[in-house]
Amino acid sequence: MPGDGTKALAKGSCAPGPVPEGLIRIYSMRFCPYSHRTRLVLRAKGIRHEIININLKNKPEWFFSKHPFGQIPVLETSQCQLIYESVIACEYLDDAYPGRKLYPCDPYERARQKMLLELFCKILDYENTTFFGGDCISMIDYLLWPWFERLDVYGIADCVSHTPGLRLWIAAMKQDATVRALLTDKCVFQGYLSLYFRNSPSAFDYGLC
Amino acid sequence: MSGLSARSLAKGSAPPGPVPEGLIRVYSMRFCPFAKRTLLVLKAKGIRHEVININLKNKPEWFFKKNPSGVVPVLENSKGQLICESAITCEYLDEAYPGKKLLPEDPYEKACQKMVFELFSKVPSLVTSFIRRQNKEDCADLKEDLQKEFSKLEEVLTNKKTTFFGGNSLSMIDYLIWPWLERLEVLELNECVDHAPKLKLWMAAMRKDPAVSALLIDVKAHKATSTCEDPRLCIQEPATRPPIGSTPRGRHFQNP
Repeated sequence: MPGDGTKALAKGSCAPGPVPEGLIRIYSMRFCPYSHRTRLVLRAKGIRHEIININLKNKPEWFFSKHPFGQIPVLETSQCQLIYESVIACEYLDDAYPGRKLYPCDPYERARQKMLLELFCKILDYENTTFFGGDCISMIDYLLWPWFERLDVYGIADCVSHTPGLRLWIAAMKQDATVRALLTDKCVFQGYLSLYFRNSPSAFDYGLC
Repeated sequence: MSGLSARSLAKGSAPPGPVPEGLIRVYSMRFCPFAKRTLLVLKAKGIRHEVININLKNKPEWFFKKNPSGVVPVLENSKGQLICESAITCEYLDEAYPGKKLLPEDPYEKACQKMVFELFSKVPSLVTSFIRRQNKEDCADLKEDLQKEFSKLEEVLTNKKTTFFGGNSLSMIDYLIWPWLERLEVLELNECVDHAPKLKLWMAAMRKDPAVSALLIDVKAHKATSTCEDPRLCIQEPATRPPIGSTPRGRHFQNP
């Protein structure tokens, strides 16, 4: 899709012009899972769109006129309408554009999908505790950890830049003896990935003497 | 429309039978603002329903089969389908039943209502915190926080230049917000809207709505539950998702 690999716009950049007719614009960031949701829907529905990537560590001043806190994703239409919050943006696209409907038509089935999403959000969310299961590390933390350990490796540690709770959890996890004992060195992991994606059979042994 | 004022069912009670055809059932609690949302929509759309009140401090075992989280509201239809989470129940009712649509047909207008809903999202937990605070004299911080949240709502009304949050007619978003604003008097928190004149006008306009006035809380009864020994009588442990962006640590999906 055009724009997928464009450099993120930062402070000092020029504000983009209006969205051309027949197109919808998404303000995004390549590694953000929330804007990823919206990009998936854009793709799945074959919606013509343009992507503007935002530097989340050094946000352009003009971006705050698109979102009061400079968050992504934000959709902008050619009528200058702005839609934000990933779930709202996805539903908007499903409602506004023809073709394949991603939400079911049946009201109960729609409700079921929304209830499932709430369940998932409870995994991402947690009450005022350090770990997902409470004040001590427990199974759920270990079950989720591998994905988060990889954020830095994949170069997407920025994804938690706007979720201070998760950042705190990651820091707390890194203090756990078990997590530390099994922490994979970032360079080794990156070496593995680079061989893996080249389908090299020696990928799996990267880093071993 | 039976059951609104019926005694709540507690542990040891017999599970209710299946829901009769032509009716939908809501598991509720008389003082729960989340369940109030669902009751308002049922009333506004003229949907034939029955209400079963649940004793939230002494829940019937069978209720966990209706909702594993054990919270109200829960809808059950005659097909045995169960819908939980107040906002989801309201949207389900609007989609499944004919008559006046409470959510706009226009995708952008609908998205706007949902964005306003997110703006409102910190209010329920703030009000819960206030109810739980033992020393009511020492609530200046919570009142200030609430005032801040209400200013956001005031700003919406100012920008839209309409009476209601969805336009000049009452719609879904108004019903979703109302139960907390309705409770300000009971909780003696009216001062939190002192700086929000449009919000106050909205509250007055809401009181004229037939569904709102039919279900207006009994201030005396509410006050009794708010001051009773267990102030949590009217609060259920929130299994309802703290909305995206709500304050407590860990819920910041994207706050700066």
